[in-house]
Amino acid sequence: MPEPPADLARMLPGRWTGRAVRRVEDRRLLLGRGRFLDDLRLPGSLEACFVRSPHPHARVVSVDGSAALAVPGVAAVLTAADLPHLPLVDLLPIEGLAKTPQHALAADRARFAGEAVALVAATSRYEAEDGADLVEVAYERLPHVTDAEAALARDAPLLHPELGTNAVYRESRRYGDPDGAFAAAAHVSRISFRHNRYVAAPLETRGCAAVWDEAGGELTFWSSTQSPHLLRRRLALATGIGEARIRVVTPDVGGGFGLKIPIHPEELAVALAARRLDRPIVWVEDRLENLVAAPHAKEQTIEAELALAADGTFLGLRARIVGDAGAYSFNNASALIEPYLAAGLMPGVYRLRNLATEVIAALTNKSPIAPYRGVGWTAGHCARELLVDRAARELGLDPAELRRRNLVRPGDFPYESCTGMLYDSGSYTEALERTLELLGYAELRAEQAAGRRAGRLLGVGISPYVEPTGWGTEGSRQSGWVLVSHDAARVTIEPSGEVAIAIGTPSQGQGHATVFAQLAADVLGVDPADVVVRANDTAASPISLPGTRASRTAVVLGGAVLGALEELRERALRVAGFLLEADPADLEVVDGGVALRDAPSRRVTLREIAEAAYFRPEVRAVLPEPDLAVSRFHDPRATYSNGVIACVVEVDRETGVVSVRRAVAVEDCGTILNPMIVDGQIHGAVAQGIGGALLEQVVYDADGQPQANTFLDYLLPTAAEVPPIEVEHCVSPSPFTAGGIKGMGESGLVATPAAVACAVADALAPFGGGVDRLPLAPEAVLGIIQSATA
Amino acid sequence: MIPIEITVNGRRYRETVPARLLLSDFIRHTLGLTGTHVGCEHGVCGCCTIILDGTSIRSCLFLAVQADGSELRTVEGLAGGGELTALQRAFRERHALQCGFCTPGILMAAVDFLGRHPEPSREQVVGLLSGHLCRCTGYEPIVEAILDAAGER
Repeated sequence: MPEPPADLARMLPGRWTGRAVRRVEDRRLLLGRGRFLDDLRLPGSLEACFVRSPHPHARVVSVDGSAALAVPGVAAVLTAADLPHLPLVDLLPIEGLAKTPQHALAADRARFAGEAVALVAATSRYEAEDGADLVEVAYERLPHVTDAEAALARDAPLLHPELGTNAVYRESRRYGDPDGAFAAAAHVSRISFRHNRYVAAPLETRGCAAVWDEAGGELTFWSSTQSPHLLRRRLALATGIGEARIRVVTPDVGGGFGLKIPIHPEELAVALAARRLDRPIVWVEDRLENLVAAPHAKEQTIEAELALAADGTFLGLRARIVGDAGAYSFNNASALIEPYLAAGLMPGVYRLRNLATEVIAALTNKSPIAPYRGVGWTAGHCARELLVDRAARELGLDPAELRRRNLVRPGDFPYESCTGMLYDSGSYTEALERTLELLGYAELRAEQAAGRRAGRLLGVGISPYVEPTGWGTEGSRQSGWVLVSHDAARVTIEPSGEVAIAIGTPSQGQGHATVFAQLAADVLGVDPADVVVRANDTAASPISLPGTRASRTAVVLGGAVLGALEELRERALRVAGFLLEADPADLEVVDGGVALRDAPSRRVTLREIAEAAYFRPEVRAVLPEPDLAVSRFHDPRATYSNGVIACVVEVDRETGVVSVRRAVAVEDCGTILNPMIVDGQIHGAVAQGIGGALLEQVVYDADGQPQANTFLDYLLPTAAEVPPIEVEHCVSPSPFTAGGIKGMGESGLVATPAAVACAVADALAPFGGGVDRLPLAPEAVLGIIQSATA
Repeated sequence: MIPIEITVNGRRYRETVPARLLLSDFIRHTLGLTGTHVGCEHGVCGCCTIILDGTSIRSCLFLAVQADGSELRTVEGLAGGGELTALQRAFRERHALQCGFCTPGILMAAVDFLGRHPEPSREQVVGLLSGHLCRCTGYEPIVEAILDAAGER
């Protein structure tokens, strides 16, 4: 395990690092000069439109493109037979998980409404859509199933008959002695919870563009991906083109939130089509495709029971977790990510030693699953926290007090959860107390009681979380994943004295360029304006197999960048010592260069140092290779952030409408690199959590047809639904990572749906508080009120 | 194909376009002004908002031929000589953008709005923004940025 750079703890906070430095990315974006995928113009390119199955389950009997080919501008109609490829390889083996093949285009069978069956390429999207309308596909309908529990039934229609089952994964695990815990319990609370299927819905939809160079046998592939090297590897393995001959370029990306981590079958289809037609091809999906055919997220059903002692001590937990996997199990273990990750984090922030989990993943005739911020954890966390609130109500305890009694305590760190996660440090108790203070908890309870007498339904939900972050290989393993997750950074001081940082984790809005410029400014004395961060081109960046995901960039890349910067500082001091005829030990980095500590007027600029290093042969006496470029790899130990999200809601008992009056977030991500960016991540994730709790749901009807096809029937939260979010910080630096940095970014969406759901359950306590599903749309809320008053 | 004449950010364009071409696609693809973004193509998300003859509109709900003879402003026309406007500076100062995809549409809506409501209340700004989707910021920084910009005028 590489040691963290020794100087970092001393360095932070620095002149730049740790401060709310405004972003270097903003100016370009504010001027309308961003370059997103659909802003590319490739000479001679065709635009693609997919013909998609209208049926949830059907045999594809024949595809006839002749009428489409007669449309002016249509250049080709391609089917699975036209685009042979090697199987899309799953790089994430999980024992016991059955894999299913998925093709670039459905070959003989379509398994969800929206699955791509043919690709039409034309000179514009307009003409491609005209052509797609005229492609005649003969289908033979097959029985379908869109409910995970129904899919597990013995006589359910099978999506992949060769498996003999729709259950691609089924495993029970026991930690400690759960049966003993339940036998000893003074009280047991139970919940049967259904978490909604919803979508990341980045405002920029998915898209890609492929240029095939027939003479050189090289593919250039633009994609709005979060994981360019993973995409390159999957394209290479599926097309047979060597990785050295594939270049993945990532332009500005208009939000990802996890959806843009996996390779999408459409991307492979576009790459294959460009090679077959020897023409550049661009595909930009429309919103209908994004809602219907892009992977969905988060659908689980969880049955859980909590055993408590008479004083409220949590003795044990049992959970049966069923993930609705959609139609395929192939990509990043997509079928399993939801229930599997939920199970591993089931203990959450609590001292819970006895746990039994049963995890099942079931195939259904719906769009497959992709990651979306807080993968798996959102649903599991929500079920657990609703269960804790229910136990508090049943025992007549205050829900904050019940949580306080069971938290992992300040003296417990490092604390290993019963599922094997090593919580490195944290402020679990402090964050809870601070949250209650910010809420004015006692006053709020008094207001709630007075309101109830007046017929008002106020509720408070308190949702303390722990977030596995900064996934390196070890953090990944502790969550049950086996994806090798190190990263590397290459940092160069150019002859001009500017600093170039090449990494493989592109930003989808997280401000990586700003944060790494801050680090470089503190270590090398360079002006942040003279730092260029490139994360957009596999030809220029060291490999990052995972890419941007799992709240990992600040920790893993942060460590790699810092390691490289420290080595460069050492080299710069050596060269400066040569130029100033001084011992490097007597020198220090100052603004813009290096100076003698005791005689600051004797100094050289970074530019002078770099020019000498590259161009003056006599410098080789102290720097044998004329090079100021350093690559460093980093694979840190696991680290865990924590905090609390709390919401105050008011329920309108006549209409069932829930208003979120306050959202409070106390977060602890260790050493903070840029508090403005940290706050922004919390704000955005909390807003997404409010949407997931109250508004968002992908609905399929009995015929297997997706019902949410536009933003008129798939409701996202707007400024009218999201209150100002109050954010405060606790700081528990990680003892395990460079600089004590922990990751963050997902916690708002891990913990907010639970905060809202618990608050609604609290508001509806006079009606039994029986919240057991999301979203809490007006009809669901009225249902709870009416069933209690009927 | 129909000939049209449209002025965008003070510059006059004469083009011949198919009748069905959306105004958003005309701006982005025909003119190459890609700062205007397209997020839903059904008038909900607000990414494609521009100003047409003094009023903010969703350019994905207009055909290019409907804008014949009109004067348009897009995000590229805001900053003279590359200097950010007070509104744009406020967005940067308040961290009111992350991925930046929704930003041009919100900027254009806000320019129109601030012209009509020089001293807006918070509620009015929230009302304006309730017609725009942003998936990154949680909206409050955008509310603050627009109020800041109003205060500076």
